[in-house]
Amino acid sequence: MTAIHIVSSANRHLYETTLDSYFRIRHDVFAKERGWKAVERSDERDIDAFDRDDTIHLIAMDGDRVVGGQRLVPTTTPHMLSEIFADLAAVKGIPVGPTIWEASRYFVVRERRSGRTDATMLAGVQEFGVDEGITHYSAVIETWWLPRLHEAGFVVRPLGLPTLIENQWAIAAEVEVRQSSRDRARALGGIGGSVLVRRGLKVPLIGEVAHVT
Amino acid sequence: MNRQEFDHAHVAFSFIERLETLEAPDDVMNHMEKSLGLFGFENFILTGLPNPHQRAEQMVLARKWPRGWFEIYIKENYVAADPVVRLCRNSINPFEWSEAPYNREKEPRAHEVMNRAADFRMANGFCIPIHGLTGYEACVSFGGDKLDLSSRTKPAIHLMGMYAFERIRQLMTPAQRNRSDDLTSREREVLTWTALGKTSSEIAEILELSKRTVDEYSIRAARKLRAQNKTHAVVKALQQRLINP
Repeated sequence: MTAIHIVSSANRHLYETTLDSYFRIRHDVFAKERGWKAVERSDERDIDAFDRDDTIHLIAMDGDRVVGGQRLVPTTTPHMLSEIFADLAAVKGIPVGPTIWEASRYFVVRERRSGRTDATMLAGVQEFGVDEGITHYSAVIETWWLPRLHEAGFVVRPLGLPTLIENQWAIAAEVEVRQSSRDRARALGGIGGSVLVRRGLKVPLIGEVAHVT
Repeated sequence: MNRQEFDHAHVAFSFIERLETLEAPDDVMNHMEKSLGLFGFENFILTGLPNPHQRAEQMVLARKWPRGWFEIYIKENYVAADPVVRLCRNSINPFEWSEAPYNREKEPRAHEVMNRAADFRMANGFCIPIHGLTGYEACVSFGGDKLDLSSRTKPAIHLMGMYAFERIRQLMTPAQRNRSDDLTSREREVLTWTALGKTSSEIAEILELSKRTVDEYSIRAARKLRAQNKTHAVVKALQQRLINP
């Protein structure tokens, strides 16, 4: 059964081997498979300016094996939409706030692209948002993924029009965190309950989240 | 951003925002006619793509096609020959109908469907492929005689098509269906292999489960689908597009 491990600076010492494998697979997926020149590195580890101490990684694992992942960065600090892809949010602007996090580098390894791992990852990111008081995620997503997110019950608001990036249509979007989205993604993957593993972490992990009262 | 680009974006975003307020598929179609009409579109179809066991007409979620053309299209089983449908299955990016390749000599039926469509004022159009997470394939296709298709308008049309599809899909999905009746992905997997002619023992081997567990999944799926037996469950799952072997 695939589980989503939450890895932050607070517990990364428990995940050194996993993280190395995660960054290597990211390089395989984004530099080699997708051919993104900007993320190519000689050490074959995809680590960039947004893999920081305040970055939270959601790593999908089957036992010890990394099968997928994505990372979350607070929008109150420099993030990909603010620094690189601001043009994509030309119509609605870049969503910024303490309860809005940006998701990026979403991937599932090639052998697991039949839908089930995706559903687990989508359920996981919604579960994490619900548990942590996150209200929205912002993200740059490939446009052909939009109906897939809809199918998983995600409420997605576009921030601009589709734009061609690295030969792929992409849009900037804001995704609501909703229990109903979490549950719909779970149903899609045939998942009974929580998919998150918080090894060595307190709940909630995000301490400074400003809860709306 | 120049003035015209802003207008396209504005049309697309007000279209999407308005969609949420519409509660009937017909209202969505009227809304599409009005907004997409600005780009020259007159005809619309939002449809799932049938597998060999499914009937094309049962996959249609909504359509506004010229009188007579849908009937001909179904009667002639053009869905099997249509190069637009073929490219739709194999592409993740939207495309103009004229970009769907076919061989005139070797595929006379493909040539025929494109020609006959043109007779119904559907000379060109724009197709937006939909690929679900668990195998569902669908197509949003707009046609017309004089289209404003350019690198500036296409992104707006692309986005509008995807949101129109989602709204129609939401409105057409029976809300009263109990969530506990949803098939799990394991149950779908077992039904899919059954549909492909595999026995319980063979499926057990493929999925690395015990035969008993596989049988248990079949029984549970049949119960959820209110089916009499395994075969009946497969038929119902195919009809309801829950599996896509």
